[in-house]
Amino acid sequence: MESASVPLPHGAGGHAAEHEHHGPPEANQSSRIDRQTLGILLFIISEVMLFGSFFASYFFLRVVVNPAAWPPHPFELPVGVAGMNTAILVSSSFTIHYALEGIRKGNKQAMKLGLALTWLLGLTFLFVQINEYVHLGFSIRTESFGTIFYSLTGLHGAHVFIGLTLLTAATIRAFRGHFDKEPEKHLGVEVPGIYWHFVDIMWIIVFATVYIL
Amino acid sequence: MRINERAVFKWVLIVGVAGASVIGLALLTRPLVGSLWGLVLVIAGCAYGIRWTRDWWRNSRSHPGGPDYKP
Repeated sequence: MESASVPLPHGAGGHAAEHEHHGPPEANQSSRIDRQTLGILLFIISEVMLFGSFFASYFFLRVVVNPAAWPPHPFELPVGVAGMNTAILVSSSFTIHYALEGIRKGNKQAMKLGLALTWLLGLTFLFVQINEYVHLGFSIRTESFGTIFYSLTGLHGAHVFIGLTLLTAATIRAFRGHFDKEPEKHLGVEVPGIYWHFVDIMWIIVFATVYIL
Repeated sequence: MRINERAVFKWVLIVGVAGASVIGLALLTRPLVGSLWGLVLVIAGCAYGIRWTRDWWRNSRSHPGGPDYKP
């Protein structure tokens, strides 16, 4: 025999209880980390695994398959241009950090300037990379080298594009005056900032691996 | 350590310096030497990450405000 405290199923007399609460229970909120930051961190962890699988493919092809020439003759990678692009992307991490330091101190002009500069630097990076693809002289079909080169740099390029989309939204909101110095009032810049730093870190690793080693 | 943009930016600087050391070593000696140094850095980074995660969870349980804190 069931006790009287067992809740009644829907439509069987439980109307009073239904009026008290709708939907799922409130999510647990840790005071150490807010939900938005936790969300972007979990997303970044999954992205690290995705990049890890591409790096595993790269090193498998490079070390285990071990082709005679890497990159295949007569192609050469434009290390100088990629190095310049690396400097551009690393600079953009400093500008987004400048934007966030600005809004933390209540300086909205600094935030706007930092965000606009980051957006421009990100766009320049993407433009230079597309330009590099046009002038490389080999395609994604050029042996396994071409496939893994375009896959790895293209995967990163796609992340830059997503980051730019987030930055576009943040920049527009910044110019509309949506953000303020309290931490919970500038999460719309903080979260894209964390993502942008991740994109930057990944490029440093991609550049060192693909262009230098 | 609180997890925010400032903390992640610190990691941009750390990875930047580590990447520069790998690139410098590879260009000054041979790519293989740079690769091995990179491997050493990755292993050290993983070890640090595991230790940091353990400490984070330990602090979460014992400090008020932590997600698993039980008075």
